[in-house]
Amino acid sequence: MLDFADNPGMLYVVGTLVPLASFVALLTLGGLKNLGRRYKDTGWGQSLYWLLGGDEPGRAGAYVATCAIGISCVMGTIGLVRFLGEHPLPKHDHTQHTAADAHHGHEQEEPKHAHADDHVDAAWAGRVTFATVGRMQSDHRPGMKMELGYRIDHLGAVMFAMVTFIATLIHIFALGYMGDETQKMVDDHQAHVTRRGRYQNFFMWFSLFSFSMLNLVIADNFFQVFVSWELVGACSFGLIGFYYERHSASTAANKAFITNRVGDVGFIVGLMILWSSVGTLNFQEVFSRIRCPSADSDGKLALAGQIVRLDETEFKDGERTYKWTPEGVGPSVALFPLHAKHWHGLGAPDPKRSHPLDQEISVTPKAELDDYGVMPYWLLTLAGLGIFLGCVGKSAQFPLQVWLPDAMEGPTPVSALVHSATMVAAGVYLTGRAFPLFTPEARLAIAYTGAITLFTAATIAMVVHDIKKVLAYSTVSQLGYMIHALGIGGWIAGLLHLLTHAFFKALLFLCSGSVIHGCHHEQDMRKMGGLRKKMPITAATMLVGCLAIAGTPMFSGWYSKDAILAESLAFVTMNPGHFLLLLAPLVTAGITCFYMFRMWFLTFTGKPKDHHVHDHAHESPRTMTVPLVVLACFSVFVAWGWPLWDAEASYLAHVIGASEPAAAHAEAHALHEAAHHVLPVHSIAGALALLAAVIGAVFAVVTYLTRKLDPAEAVAQFPRVYRLFENKWYFDELYSVMFCRPALAVAGWCRTFDTNAIDCFIDNTAKKTISLSRFGGKVDSKVVDGLVNVTGNSIRYVGNSLRHVQTGHLRGYVLYLVMGAVGLFGLATYFVSLAAAK
Amino acid sequence: MSDPLTPYLWLGALLFTCGVVCMATKRNAIGVLMGVELVLNGANVNFVACAHYNPTFALEGQVFALFTIVLAAAEAAIALAIVLNFYNNHNTVDVDAAEELRG
Repeated sequence: MLDFADNPGMLYVVGTLVPLASFVALLTLGGLKNLGRRYKDTGWGQSLYWLLGGDEPGRAGAYVATCAIGISCVMGTIGLVRFLGEHPLPKHDHTQHTAADAHHGHEQEEPKHAHADDHVDAAWAGRVTFATVGRMQSDHRPGMKMELGYRIDHLGAVMFAMVTFIATLIHIFALGYMGDETQKMVDDHQAHVTRRGRYQNFFMWFSLFSFSMLNLVIADNFFQVFVSWELVGACSFGLIGFYYERHSASTAANKAFITNRVGDVGFIVGLMILWSSVGTLNFQEVFSRIRCPSADSDGKLALAGQIVRLDETEFKDGERTYKWTPEGVGPSVALFPLHAKHWHGLGAPDPKRSHPLDQEISVTPKAELDDYGVMPYWLLTLAGLGIFLGCVGKSAQFPLQVWLPDAMEGPTPVSALVHSATMVAAGVYLTGRAFPLFTPEARLAIAYTGAITLFTAATIAMVVHDIKKVLAYSTVSQLGYMIHALGIGGWIAGLLHLLTHAFFKALLFLCSGSVIHGCHHEQDMRKMGGLRKKMPITAATMLVGCLAIAGTPMFSGWYSKDAILAESLAFVTMNPGHFLLLLAPLVTAGITCFYMFRMWFLTFTGKPKDHHVHDHAHESPRTMTVPLVVLACFSVFVAWGWPLWDAEASYLAHVIGASEPAAAHAEAHALHEAAHHVLPVHSIAGALALLAAVIGAVFAVVTYLTRKLDPAEAVAQFPRVYRLFENKWYFDELYSVMFCRPALAVAGWCRTFDTNAIDCFIDNTAKKTISLSRFGGKVDSKVVDGLVNVTGNSIRYVGNSLRHVQTGHLRGYVLYLVMGAVGLFGLATYFVSLAAAK
Repeated sequence: MSDPLTPYLWLGALLFTCGVVCMATKRNAIGVLMGVELVLNGANVNFVACAHYNPTFALEGQVFALFTIVLAAAEAAIALAIVLNFYNNHNTVDVDAAEELRG
């Protein structure tokens, strides 16, 4: 039996599997019902069909799915509470590295610091090998293990709780929002078709999605992440294309899927590099192989947590020797043995150590994990970039951001769950998980990717009119913030923003869903306005969401955005050449504030612009408003800490910080200390962020609330800029010209070649074959059959002529007999006489 | 031809020839059977005579003669049964009437 008391990790395993069970149940029920519908004419088919609810699209499935995710949520919460109880947070944490911390210096920074990658708690992890690959009978290699496993650390526990909680709320919201699908027949006005309701289908996809996402969160190896990664991609495809009768929806689903494939190519390349060079896909094993361990039996190591680069020296006795030099720019990377107690060489500048600093290590490249190995540095960079490319696709970063806005074709709960709160967060989550893998070059690429994304997406969000598209671009922009933060080394800041953003973006999406539901599927903000009176709860909760995302002090977004800007400022202070990495997020903070309030003002204030929409607008049912209120509360206080007004005191940040990789921790610590000597980073960053937000808000108020400024005039003044933004920086057109049209042209050529050359050849061959067969047929019927017939006929003729011998006259027979006997006698006499004569 | 065996051989040959002629000429099935008996007895005469004058085969010749008699009796029984059946079916014992199996 499952023993949750001794083995609390099982809470998470079961919590992950419950939605899978729900998916399987719904799939089976749906399959049986379809079977019944198909064989409705037969007795058993009809009874099966009616037993499963008949024409009504069953509501039961939806409750099953909602209960399943609810159970997961309860388990996730229990697990989180227990985990935090068993793993007390360290007193001094990265987020408190203020000036005071700098005074304490290194002495208090012990390796005991609860970094999760140093402590693997057996009760919270487990793995199973399900296949061993590459072992041959004649081979001495040990073979590499494919594993399934789970491992819970602070980040995983918090993510699990967040995902299950938001998913539960969105399931509940969807119970109401997808109400139309419970009808026997649904009229799809956009696709002009009438179809059966697909209520249960929707929740089936949701269950599979929940399972995949949770599996991704608890996974302890890249392979399992990749499997879940593809599963969430498939679910996203199914959910974006939920209204697949609409051309736009099916196209959007394809676009999302194909764009993600581009990223996944990178992911696979990264996995293959790790698999072949490092020899394992387990997170902890990969990281402990490529990062220098913090200590060995001789004491602390100077290079702890760093990627150790080696120079090749000589080649003798079939072994190549590598040497470490203090410059650390060699072309190879050392891979460390997994289970050794003692590491030769790579010593510390610690006088107590007997090892000289630059002692050589001799390396025989072996596939075994318990031995030293080397891999080229550029390959490690490429592996990091490859895996990051996967994240770029999933998290809709530049240059693969084009799919996410189109993904808004799916139902709004999908946009809220899949395309804002959880799935797109998977890319950021994996970037955070794989952080020790990234070399400095790769990290810079990550930072710039994020910076470009957050700025471009925000500019587009300023000019779109579809309420969901604003949120979509805002999501892309916020994901850019997270990626940017991870790139510049702000591990905690990036992942904190991931969590806070999940809450307020889910809230904003559900609010927009409520508005859309209330306005009878009108999404154009130009037709809304003045809805505050009609739907007060939605308006209030959405305002909370806007304030949170804008970074208003005391709201959750403030804590994370402040942290990101502080990281940027610290980074740029130390690397002034990369000043764009500060400018972009700072300017975008203002833009974010502007477009969020623009959306709120356009929707809820002013005069109603379309009376038809306004007159029919109504507040949404209870199942929809309750999740809004709950999420609004979370959007406010989820990142709170004590004191409340200290942006760095966030309790959530402390929790996440406990699982910060040692590499990220050491680096961020050093960066902050250095930056603090130049200027007080945190207070300046906070002030700048607030200033930017206020400027953005003032612009929004002036333009859309008091109408002092006419947006049309601004457009008229910068027509080119406006057109650039409105056309989404021409990304779609660019890709169309760069990839789609060439691909279509090549396809056209292939088709021409196919029809003209290959088909022609095949047709001719076929014709020749037919005539050859005809000729063969003739030969067969004339020559072969003729010979056989002649043989048969001649035998018949001989038989016919011989039958007359059989006269049936007994006396005749006797006569022949006697004559024969006499004849034989005569012959015998003749031969005997001949013999006698001799 | 002073061999004392010769007259017996002549007798055997005469009987054999009489039998064959009888078989070949009679239309009555019983007559044909009688011809067969004559042929067999012609052979029997030869057996017995040779046995008598050639002491090497004294016993064998007599035993063969006895075998032939027994076989002749059995043959007569079967043949008569056939004839009786034939008569039942065709109301005649004329062997020329038995031509249903001709080619």
